[in-house]
Amino acid sequence: MRLECNNLNFTYPDSKVAVINNLSFLMEKPGFKALFGPSGAGKTSLAKMIANPGFRADGRIITENIDTILYSYNLERLPGWSSAGKHLNKVTSPEKQPLKERLIEIFELNDVLNSRYSQLSMGQQNRMNLIRYLLQDFNLLILDESLANVDEKLRETIILAIKELFSNKMFLYISHNLMEVSKFCSQILVFGKPSGNKGCFMTQGQDCKKGYDLDKEKLDITMLEIMNAF
Amino acid sequence: MLFRRIYQFLLVYIITIVFLFMIKILLSLSDYVIPGVPLMIETTGQVFKEYFFDVMNTMSITILGQCLSIIMAFTVGIAGRKSSWIGSFIKVTAYNIQAYPIVALAPIIFILLGDGFIPRLLIASMICYFPLLLSVLGIMATPVKDIEHFYIVTGRMRWQLEVKIRAFENLSKLTTVISGSATLAMAGTIVGEFIAANAGIGYSIRIALYQSDLAKIIVALFMIGIIISIYQGILETMGEQIKTRWSISKKGEVL
Amino acid sequence: MKINNFISWLVLLFLISTTNSFAKETKVNYRLKWLFNTSVAGDIYADAKGYFKDAGLDVDVREGSPEKNAINELELKRADFGVASADQVIRALDKGAKIFVIAQLFQTNPMQWIYRTDQPEIKTLQDLKGRLIGITFGGNDETIMNTLLAKAGIKKKDVAITGVRFDFTPFFMRKVDVWPVYRNSQGVILKERLAKEGEDVYFFNPADFGVNFVANSVVTSEAMLTKNPDIVQKFLNALLKGWEAAMDPANEAVTLEVVKKLDKGNNDEIRKKQLNATRILIKPSVSIRIGTIDSTAWKQTETMMLTEKQIKNPVNIETRLIQLK
Repeated sequence: MRLECNNLNFTYPDSKVAVINNLSFLMEKPGFKALFGPSGAGKTSLAKMIANPGFRADGRIITENIDTILYSYNLERLPGWSSAGKHLNKVTSPEKQPLKERLIEIFELNDVLNSRYSQLSMGQQNRMNLIRYLLQDFNLLILDESLANVDEKLRETIILAIKELFSNKMFLYISHNLMEVSKFCSQILVFGKPSGNKGCFMTQGQDCKKGYDLDKEKLDITMLEIMNAF
Repeated sequence: MLFRRIYQFLLVYIITIVFLFMIKILLSLSDYVIPGVPLMIETTGQVFKEYFFDVMNTMSITILGQCLSIIMAFTVGIAGRKSSWIGSFIKVTAYNIQAYPIVALAPIIFILLGDGFIPRLLIASMICYFPLLLSVLGIMATPVKDIEHFYIVTGRMRWQLEVKIRAFENLSKLTTVISGSATLAMAGTIVGEFIAANAGIGYSIRIALYQSDLAKIIVALFMIGIIISIYQGILETMGEQIKTRWSISKKGEVL
Repeated sequence: MKINNFISWLVLLFLISTTNSFAKETKVNYRLKWLFNTSVAGDIYADAKGYFKDAGLDVDVREGSPEKNAINELELKRADFGVASADQVIRALDKGAKIFVIAQLFQTNPMQWIYRTDQPEIKTLQDLKGRLIGITFGGNDETIMNTLLAKAGIKKKDVAITGVRFDFTPFFMRKVDVWPVYRNSQGVILKERLAKEGEDVYFFNPADFGVNFVANSVVTSEAMLTKNPDIVQKFLNALLKGWEAAMDPANEAVTLEVVKKLDKGNNDEIRKKQLNATRILIKPSVSIRIGTIDSTAWKQTETMMLTEKQIKNPVNIETRLIQLK
């Protein structure tokens, strides 16, 4: 499994400044990777480019053993005409039903299955959206702030569960939470300040798995390294 | 909702009658020009039943015409929502035609098709068709990105789902434009009948005009007002119920 | 100085012109019952030949239509004089209108119905059953037909009544078989038209069945009569002078000329026939003065309407007929 780009550039049509400027990186092996950086740095733009088949078609983004890439973001909504549970059922294939039950349990959504999407809290909405993506066929799933509004403890539970249940998939996690990405991600693509001289660089995270022992010292080093980018 | 509409209508109606009586007294007009209360009561007794059936007749044409135009508007609106040349053509045509007072075409329609049921139905449906079509086109052509994205990227999007998503998101707008077009349709049908038909309340008003019988006209106006208030009240209530059933959540409005 | 002079002259001129206008004619509105045609030849003649002007009156002669009602306009002071049929007058009086009749134009009611001879002749009122009958809602034909049907005991559902207006198409297309006409105007037109197609016609005359309503008469408001009796007298004199002249066979060519100017859509031959027919109805004999009010006929009309419950109470029509000298 491989996700790579070499000297990638991109400028929006009505902008003079390039949002992606000569970006090169390589991500290998399945696992939880991160895109980390300040607002406006180009994380979402890069994510959308990766998810867009056109960029792979013309070779600007190179993949290996990655056929299906899905991009999810935190503003998505489920249709409102039936309960969230019903909508979830409609998009889950029969063989994934057990997985669905499991995820609902982990994501603590059992009590809200009969409610309509608009009646859920923001955290519940984000979790519901994420579940339906996890139940689709994909090789790489991009999570653009998909766990926003979820409390820290539950977020940790969810991330660890995803890593365990989907160990053969790649995830790109876009987040503003420094400790979280440092703890749980294997690779972190750090976006420097857009206007600063520091470009993007890749660093290693702690990649903690379920039942982990946290190495505080190593975590601090990772976090410091990232902080120095700004 | 329903009762409020009826109260509002009755209030406006009574104010108008009082205003007429004031003019009658001010200008010392006889019952021949503005009927007095006894004459109005007498006339009401004479024509109430006949006018009730006339209004029902007109109302049935109106409702049928509105249903027809809703079906047509949705069919054409859904078909024309893509930005293909057909879609653009439909949009431009609808914009231009809806600026024209359709009811002015009533005489031509009556000349070509006679003055029976079909021409009246045609006028009723044409009058509310174009505003409806424009609303539906606008709604169907505007993607709801946040909901549609998942289905598109996972290959689950079908045109039926797309239509359902967009219609549901704009349910308030749709129910408003449908209730609004009810008045439009009724007004247009009545005017069409007034101009050239031989049935319906518009026709009865025309006869009353020729007979210079203001009492009859006042009764007819009352019947029209009551029936259209009830109809609109029902439409609005139905709209609210649909919204509740599909739960456009009022959660955010409580606090 | 020069400017001042100029302004003074302007002011003077203005004053003179406005003072003159006060000395000019009195403005008067006169609403007819139907469109301009040979039936109203006298009204047109009086206006065209300046009889009103000579009497110091600026009369606006306005044609009528189904939507217009002279009596309404009298009450609303939009008209000073009008033309209405007896049933309209009596119905208005029953509802409290304050109007007076100052002249009766038609000595014989011209209201009849035309129908083709390929239909059975209407020999009794019962023969009206099942016919497609046209009436002008609000017109005297509506009242007359209602009276005829009531007299014969025919219910509305035994006949097919259709509302008609100016357009003859339903009659030509046989959607309406029995068509209301004034014998002297539309009657002439339709008889000619059908004759061209080789069709012959009957005329159904209510008078043959004892229904004699008085037709077009000149009316004015009580206010007008009491406040401006001199204007009423002047108007009537000029009007009747116009009618006498228009009905005089010696003036036929002139009459046809003035009517032609206002009567759209007919030809000279038709108008000539219409004028001859009109003359008989307005001035049946040389000894009868035009405008003579036939009180007996009016009382008969009132009685009939009372009997048929077309009015609620007697109106004592004879108290509303003013035969001015």
